[in-house]
Amino acid sequence: MLDVSRVQKELADCNKDKAISGVSIDLHGGDGDLSHLAGTISGPVGTPYEGGTFRIDVRLPSGYPFEPPKMQFVTKVWHPNISSQNGAICLDILKDQWSPALTLKTALLSLQALLSAPEPDDPQDAVVAQQYLRDYPMFVATARYWTETFAKRASVGIEEKVQKLVEMGFPEALVRSTLDSVNGDENMALEKLCSG
Amino acid sequence: MKRDAGEADGDLSDAAPASSPLRKKPAAEAERQPLPEMVETSNSSANANIVDAVDYEWSCFADDDRMQQPSSIAEDEAAKKPLIGDKEPLSALAEEYQSGSPILLEKIKLLGEQYVALRRARGDGNCFFRCFMFSYLEHILETQDKVEVDRITAKVEECRATLQNLGYTDFTFEDFFSVFLEQLESVSRGACTSASHELLLETSRDQSTSDYVVMFFRFVTAGEIQRRTEFFEPFIVGLSNSTVNQFCKTSVEPMGEESDHVHIIALSDALGVPIRVVYLDRSSCDTGSLSVNHHDFIPDLDTQKEISQSSGSDIGNFSKPFITLLYRPGHYDILYSK
Repeated sequence: MLDVSRVQKELADCNKDKAISGVSIDLHGGDGDLSHLAGTISGPVGTPYEGGTFRIDVRLPSGYPFEPPKMQFVTKVWHPNISSQNGAICLDILKDQWSPALTLKTALLSLQALLSAPEPDDPQDAVVAQQYLRDYPMFVATARYWTETFAKRASVGIEEKVQKLVEMGFPEALVRSTLDSVNGDENMALEKLCSG
Repeated sequence: MKRDAGEADGDLSDAAPASSPLRKKPAAEAERQPLPEMVETSNSSANANIVDAVDYEWSCFADDDRMQQPSSIAEDEAAKKPLIGDKEPLSALAEEYQSGSPILLEKIKLLGEQYVALRRARGDGNCFFRCFMFSYLEHILETQDKVEVDRITAKVEECRATLQNLGYTDFTFEDFFSVFLEQLESVSRGACTSASHELLLETSRDQSTSDYVVMFFRFVTAGEIQRRTEFFEPFIVGLSNSTVNQFCKTSVEPMGEESDHVHIIALSDALGVPIRVVYLDRSSCDTGSLSVNHHDFIPDLDTQKEISQSSGSDIGNFSKPFITLLYRPGHYDILYSK
């Protein structure tokens, strides 16, 4: 069984200094489900991710905190240790090096540190890693472009987009989840909502 | 669900050479030449999403393949044995080596002069901590030694303070501390009957309770190592070439990480509990006379003084461990002396 009281303490602990730490975590949906959370990381200063806000899908298995949280980037990101396709993350503490001594906050901070210090020799995305090693300036340009395209647009004015789509007659929860799935692209969300 | 994924992993890993650095990546992704301009139109971004859907499962499996497949085999094997086994006569050990090394058989015979029985622990990387847990709680259950219970309770509070001083957040360790203290309370509450013994065995075999106590010991061990960094540093550098802090993060705190002499020294010191480890291996000396080596891990002198003062006995008395573990390379079990 999921240790509910611990998760609640973790949420409070993580969010109390989010302005300083640059990481935060909230419930994913409004239904109070503590096993599905949404984390955010602000891109570290001095990296191609600077200025971006990266959203992380966090799922807690029933064995948490003995089993690691399952984390995946929702915001598309160009990084050797994160899949540019599906956001899967290659980080030891999310796998065999997880320990109950770690927390959601330390895990998110580790992801933030990973953005600052890629490990191309242990890649999740071989293409990105190869580019990082062979053509570093191109890597930086691409990573910065992806940050501009995906990590900024999604976080700006999401509420306006929700409102607009809700006014068109779609249920709010569906609008939010659809916007989520297309990284906040309003047109694609509308297309998806219409095609049902 | 998990097992199904594991089997699918197996198929994929068979198809890809283990040495290929691209093994984890779906072919479609490897062939893509991603440049900034490729994603400029929303059209190609939509295409990328279609590729996502197709690739998604593939890459999940490939990733799991690397991380989970080997461990799931080990887990399946281990799960067949209870976390803590029944008491077995020492002859059961001899049977295991019937067609094996004569040195080992001879050593088992020698063990029989001092020890009568053993109790096995599951080989899941936590065996040292689990053996220590059972052995210690069983000792308290059988002796009902209130002085020892008070002493260790005070020690546990010191360990709690150590972790707080090191900057650990309370909620990361408090649950594990309370489960251990509950277990201690439960075994020191009354006489040792067959029912209370059965209960101890039951809780030690319960995955959740047992893992909470193991994790408690891992916290205590990590705290002690970091509290006395200077003392432990040379051992750790020799063992793993990492810093004390890294060592705790990677080799002490994660469940399933095996224990070495560093862990034993730290746990024994932190709780002030001496531990004897008897080594059953193929080593022999040239003089022809075979002997079974053992090492007593005795808590550091300060702790010893504290203990002998509180119990009124002298240091010499104290240094006889009541916990004896049998070590075979890579694994610990519990030994019972005559």
